[in-house]
Amino acid sequence: MALLTVSDLHAYYGDTAALRGISLEVEQGEIVALLGSNGAGKTTTLRTITGLQRARSGRVVYDDTDITRSKAHTIVRMGVGHVPEGRRIFPALTVEENLRLGGYLSRRSPKVVAARRDAVFDLFPRLVERRSQLGGTLSGGEQQMLAIGRAMMNEPQLLALDEPSMGLAPIVVKAVGVVIRQIRERGTSVLMVEQNARQALALADRAYVLETGRIVLEGPAGELAKDARVRHAYLGGSAEEPLESDAPVISGDTP
Amino acid sequence: MTAFLQYLVNGLTVGSFLALIALGYTMIYGIIRLINFAHGDVFMVGSFVGYAVVSTVVAQHWPIALIIIVAMLAGMAATGVLGIVIEGVAYQPLLNKPRLAILISALGVSLALEEGARIQFGAGFSSYPGILPTTGFSIGGAHASYAQLGVFVLSLLMMLALYLFVQRTPTGTAMRALAMDRDAARLMGINVERTIMLTFLLGSVLAGAAGVMQGLYYIQINFIMGFAIGLRAFTAAVLGGIGNLPGAMVAGFLIGLIQSFSDGYISSNWSDAVIFGVLIAVLIFKPTGIFGERVVERV
Amino acid sequence: MALANALRRGISTESPQTRLALRASITLAACVIALLIPQFLGDYAMSVAVTVVTYAILGLGLNVVVGYAGLLDLGYAAFFAIGAYTSALLELHFSLSFWEALPIAIVAAAVAGCIIGYPTLRLRSDYLAIVTLGFGEIVRITVTNLNVTGGPNGLYGIPPAGVFGHSIVSTNGLYYLGLFFMVLAIAFTGLLSRSRLGRAWRSLREDETASEAVGVPAIKVKLMAYVMGAIVGAIAGMLFAARFGTIDPTSFTYNTSVMILIVVIVGGMGSIPGMLLGAIIVIALPELLRSVSNYRMLFFALALVALMLVRPEGLLPPRRTRRGAYRAQPPPDEAPSSPAPAGRRRPGRGELLLQVTDVSHRFGGVRAVDGVSFDVHAGEIVSVIGPNGAGKTTVFNCITGLVTPRSGDVRLGGTRSLRGVKPHKVVRLGLARTFQGIRLFDGLDAVENCLVGLIAHQSRMLSLGGLLSRTTREDRARAMYWLDFVGLADRGHLLASELSYGERRRLEIARALMSEPQLLLLDEPAAGTNPTEKRELMSLVKQVRDTGVAVVLIEHDMGLVMELSDRVIVLDQGRIIAAGEPQQVRDDPRVIDAYLGREEDDDPDAGKSVEEVLGWRS
Repeated sequence: MALLTVSDLHAYYGDTAALRGISLEVEQGEIVALLGSNGAGKTTTLRTITGLQRARSGRVVYDDTDITRSKAHTIVRMGVGHVPEGRRIFPALTVEENLRLGGYLSRRSPKVVAARRDAVFDLFPRLVERRSQLGGTLSGGEQQMLAIGRAMMNEPQLLALDEPSMGLAPIVVKAVGVVIRQIRERGTSVLMVEQNARQALALADRAYVLETGRIVLEGPAGELAKDARVRHAYLGGSAEEPLESDAPVISGDTP
Repeated sequence: MTAFLQYLVNGLTVGSFLALIALGYTMIYGIIRLINFAHGDVFMVGSFVGYAVVSTVVAQHWPIALIIIVAMLAGMAATGVLGIVIEGVAYQPLLNKPRLAILISALGVSLALEEGARIQFGAGFSSYPGILPTTGFSIGGAHASYAQLGVFVLSLLMMLALYLFVQRTPTGTAMRALAMDRDAARLMGINVERTIMLTFLLGSVLAGAAGVMQGLYYIQINFIMGFAIGLRAFTAAVLGGIGNLPGAMVAGFLIGLIQSFSDGYISSNWSDAVIFGVLIAVLIFKPTGIFGERVVERV
Repeated sequence: MALANALRRGISTESPQTRLALRASITLAACVIALLIPQFLGDYAMSVAVTVVTYAILGLGLNVVVGYAGLLDLGYAAFFAIGAYTSALLELHFSLSFWEALPIAIVAAAVAGCIIGYPTLRLRSDYLAIVTLGFGEIVRITVTNLNVTGGPNGLYGIPPAGVFGHSIVSTNGLYYLGLFFMVLAIAFTGLLSRSRLGRAWRSLREDETASEAVGVPAIKVKLMAYVMGAIVGAIAGMLFAARFGTIDPTSFTYNTSVMILIVVIVGGMGSIPGMLLGAIIVIALPELLRSVSNYRMLFFALALVALMLVRPEGLLPPRRTRRGAYRAQPPPDEAPSSPAPAGRRRPGRGELLLQVTDVSHRFGGVRAVDGVSFDVHAGEIVSVIGPNGAGKTTVFNCITGLVTPRSGDVRLGGTRSLRGVKPHKVVRLGLARTFQGIRLFDGLDAVENCLVGLIAHQSRMLSLGGLLSRTTREDRARAMYWLDFVGLADRGHLLASELSYGERRRLEIARALMSEPQLLLLDEPAAGTNPTEKRELMSLVKQVRDTGVAVVLIEHDMGLVMELSDRVIVLDQGRIIAAGEPQQVRDDPRVIDAYLGREEDDDPDAGKSVEEVLGWRS
């Protein structure tokens, strides 16, 4: 049984269909990427899985439990983390307070919270220097580290990452790639949404391609990277050009 | 000089009530961006519950302190429940609807509470049994009663407790986080609906405490008492930078002082005009209140 | 309510013609009923009807402020009071007739609207609400305490209105007089909602910052909403005074303001028929509940809550997409074949357009921009890159007037300083921009989004005639021209919210181009676009450049930056760390350290820590 199984998920904004039958799986220890244009339903898929949005029909099963109708805070309690689009750190709370909120569910055991916070500080020593600074005053890269660290405070089994590299400098994008690998090494499965298909396919084990609320392609990341349609629509290359010559992370790094 | 000190003492007493009520306005606004027009009426209901309790037990010859404690606890419990019910029934379903719908719903709740109280207790004044001692002490010629001192100290203690709760506890941090970003708060595992209810509970309990103290201190209460004081308390919340708890406390006392001095030196007929005049003047120069909202400018 | 629903369903499924016919017949039926009502109702019921009409007028006036411009006003009764007291005083002390007093009362209310509005309209909505409440109370307290207004007893002996030598004193006469003014108010506010001003209000309601950035003078436009609303309120006040012959402060309390607000919200903000229905409900419903006399206000209050729970958008909310539906096909004369109208002078290639000199700005203690200087010349594409938080967007904000820099200067064409110039004026001077997160007016269709961008050109707009005038055919042709330019010619009738992401990006550029800028600032135009959209965007930016417009863009996508730019400026921690030709900047070691990162770090499995990749730890 996969860690997460989504079957035939439908969701709507008002009368507009956003998801029209999404089915996907995330196995224990996998990094899975969702690719697609804006408006394809990637973010909605994540939001529906983690309970921020209601599904009209279909099923989400996590760890053998049906969570389709569960509320967001109970899904978090079950071990699903979600770093939302735009990072959404709490701007008027300090770095330390942001992290402690990440461990909100363990608030009755301050020692556990402190230990996890120290683990996050190990991963991102920069945050130690910034611990009493307000979240809103951090740079974009630091905010991304804080957002990921905050989600890790609950020690999730599965982490949903929405556009982790959006709006970040190339150097931070590279660092985010390293972080995602480290998260997996700690035993957390990752389901990530990425506009930057190159980065996503370089990191992921498997990927799904979404178009207008449906999954149109799926498979191992390496195979998708060679797929002509993917190359044309999402990697910006022509189908003939060999992929190996491209830099794997930044799009268009070669002139 | 004596007159000045007397106005100061009176102003601090009035300010205690205003600050307690202003906290409710500012907390509720901070968390769901609603000007809760029913909040002044929750204060009024608290006052009437205290009235019912005190009138009943006054014949039992209980010690005064016990009567006060029982009346306040009853008033606070009743308004706490009332606050939760109002939020659950009239506000919760409208949280994600057009913004003014919830405002009109609040106006409806306000009117319903006033009418309910009028039907139950009549349109005239009801009088608390006078159980507080009128004795006191003198400060530079001005008279301050022990009752005034009690109101002042008790209010400060409640405000301090609230402040520490919001700043220091995980639940308080959750409330602040929720005020900034509701979805992100959900992703921390915070039960948003319950935390909003808790905010209404706390705000309403403070209003209930103020209502009972108001009745004990001023004796006469009626069904529209929540309107005028609610308006001034709301003004205080805005003046202090709406959503900002210490701001609401300080501005509550400030408005109390302005009212007291204006009553004394100008005329009570003009006091509300003076209060609003000060508010407008302040907002023109400091558009988010004296202490500002806690908003961080992004680079 | 069920009827309204049924009608709505009926209307929405029919073709535009049927819908128009249905609307016309409903309107006609309403007129006939309104005219014949006195035949069927008794005197008491008619006096309730007069009150309904008065509140309908008040609702229409407040609807301009709340519904059109989106400003919450909790003290609207002040204008009602000013109309009533001004006319009463003029009639009592200067023996003016109702009709002679009318224009003076209107002017008085308009002036009061300015006095209240001008100092406070910079406030954010909820602060504005309390300030309006405060002004309402101050007006009431003032008339209660002044001798000239009769104090708490008010004024009495106010003469009735006369028409052709007949004094209007009968209830039916008052009803028809009220109906006359109500029709005027309907026509007036209906005209306003369709005017350029109405469009400016809608854009402000959707996104104030974006409106200012495309040329809408926000404060003046909001002030106009206050003034227009005040005028309508004053007319209702005059009617009120002429009807009763006596007025006192208790008629103009905060509760009156709240009742009028309830009319607007219950009816459906922004909708004219909604105001009429709202007035009927707010005034007539409590009357119908007279049988339960002691409980009637309680029931009314509970009904109000229930109504909001069931229909939070009001009973008859305006139909937003209606305009679009009518014009599903662009008529031939709007076809984009017409050339761009001759507008601003096109600068010659290489001419100095923008000169940024030593600009610095701080937020709190953080130095966001620190001594930045650069020039932009006509026909150039300049990219600004740098890590997040380096101050790129702040530089844009300093240039476009959203932020006034602490020090330094921004000059347009090398002469005119832009320091302290408001955003909407900066646009007029020829400098347009887009935003990092797309900021369109989602509730407006694509054509209307562009037309808002045209306001920058209509300096005449602030004269009353210009404001009230409707969109001309040339305006529309211009909008279609730029929509076609960005490849959205067939999308004009769709709401901005209905467009795809890439289309939204392009619509924002079209809207900016409507002001015919000399310089276009694009803030991360490619963020979140896929490679196909990115390619389209690149060719669009080149096309814009080819029309002679200089382009400055902030971008993270190095592929795009390398291909498009003539020059690249690299910011880090508020300072320029490198500037020059794209190749040269890309190979600069400082740029690699701060921004691009090393190629060996492209492999996330290389075993380096995050901090090492970021250069935060060596």
